Amino acid sequence: MGIRKMLFVTEFEELWFDALQSLMDLRKAGLNHVVFLHVIDRDEVAMHRGKGYLKDEEIKLKEIANVRFIDWAESLFEQGMEAGAHIVVGKFIPKTIDIAEDEGVDLIVTGYHKQGRVQELYAGSQIMEIIRSTSKPVMVHKYMLDSGKINEHPFEKPLLAVDWSPASKKAVKFIAGLKNVVKEVQVVHVASEKSVKGDSAMDVQKIRKESRQKMEEMCAILRAEGIKAEEHLYIGNTVEQIEKAAHERQATMIVAGTSGRESLKEKFLGSVPRQLAEKSVYPTLFVPPDE
Amino acid sequence: MSKNILLVDDDADIRTFVVTVIKENGFTPLMAKNGEEGIEKVKSGNPDLIILDVLMPKQSGIKMYRELKTNGSFKDIPVIILSGISKRVFLHSQEALTEFGGKNVPEPEAYIEKPVEPEELAEIIKKYVK
Repeated sequence: MGIRKMLFVTEFEELWFDALQSLMDLRKAGLNHVVFLHVIDRDEVAMHRGKGYLKDEEIKLKEIANVRFIDWAESLFEQGMEAGAHIVVGKFIPKTIDIAEDEGVDLIVTGYHKQGRVQELYAGSQIMEIIRSTSKPVMVHKYMLDSGKINEHPFEKPLLAVDWSPASKKAVKFIAGLKNVVKEVQVVHVASEKSVKGDSAMDVQKIRKESRQKMEEMCAILRAEGIKAEEHLYIGNTVEQIEKAAHERQATMIVAGTSGRESLKEKFLGSVPRQLAEKSVYPTLFVPPDE
Repeated sequence: MSKNILLVDDDADIRTFVVTVIKENGFTPLMAKNGEEGIEKVKSGNPDLIILDVLMPKQSGIKMYRELKTNGSFKDIPVIILSGISKRVFLHSQEALTEFGGKNVPEPEAYIEKPVEPEELAEIIKKYVK
């Protein structure tokens, strides 16, 4: 499993050229084709009373995006890479999914697009919608908020947050496939406080032992590919502990497997992937299970 | 019998503009929206000239141009590049691909950076369509 073709989705507000450049390490994993996508929201050029369809506005917005993409594409072409661009009017999620499928990309990269609270309650965040609707890994790239700068090598030292789901196992394989890019992986499992409330210390130790054994199996897959891997067990709130572990271990990004599905409760409170996408300061990569 | 000119460009407005120029000068237009479609049209339409954009979905003009010029059946079809990508970058990218193990390819017959005036385009088309 490698990444040959990547869809880079941007509104030019949340992801800039340096974000694209930071992903060029993926060339060592086979990346040779970047497809740019900018979606102009239909509402921006929609029919307005007394004005009709804003064709001039559409042309202007498309040309502004085109100028940017030409500049970015020139940089990729000069490195001997392939580049393409889509500038389309429509709705962000369906356009992103359709173009990712049509282009046959191996990875979707986007920034975090926040919707209104009411919309999110009913529809989930856009990121979760995309994750739910695609079989492709989705990376939510972020500027590290402390410095205001992008991490120049986000794939170098990822934290891999695992449960024992099929999506987690797929995430391990995905990272193993990036052996020329990833140098070191911190495999982290977070057990809830509830799960360690046993009658004796033996119960807690049993959970620790079982978790470490499972993580050790995952680490072995990574080590077999020449990737340094360490396992760590944390206990507490999943999102808080993942974020804490990423900070402690100086991770460059967070990787997690996810089906993208959310229960009704999670729609209100936020599932782990959704909270990571929304709140984490780290770039987050979500890997779906096999179809 | 009029000559066929293949236009490969993903921009519908550009296609409308260039097709008008092609027709007004007595040629028959063929159209494709990206490099993949373009190669198929070359195989099926036997064009006498190709007008090629560079930055397109699915397959860029850089890759399509390389496919054309390294294919014995198509390498003699004249190509006009019509693009927002600069000629310097286009040529540099071809050099880079050659360095990565590809074959050396010649420069295109003409390179026009968008936008183009209809008279200029018509003049260049006529120069290369024998």
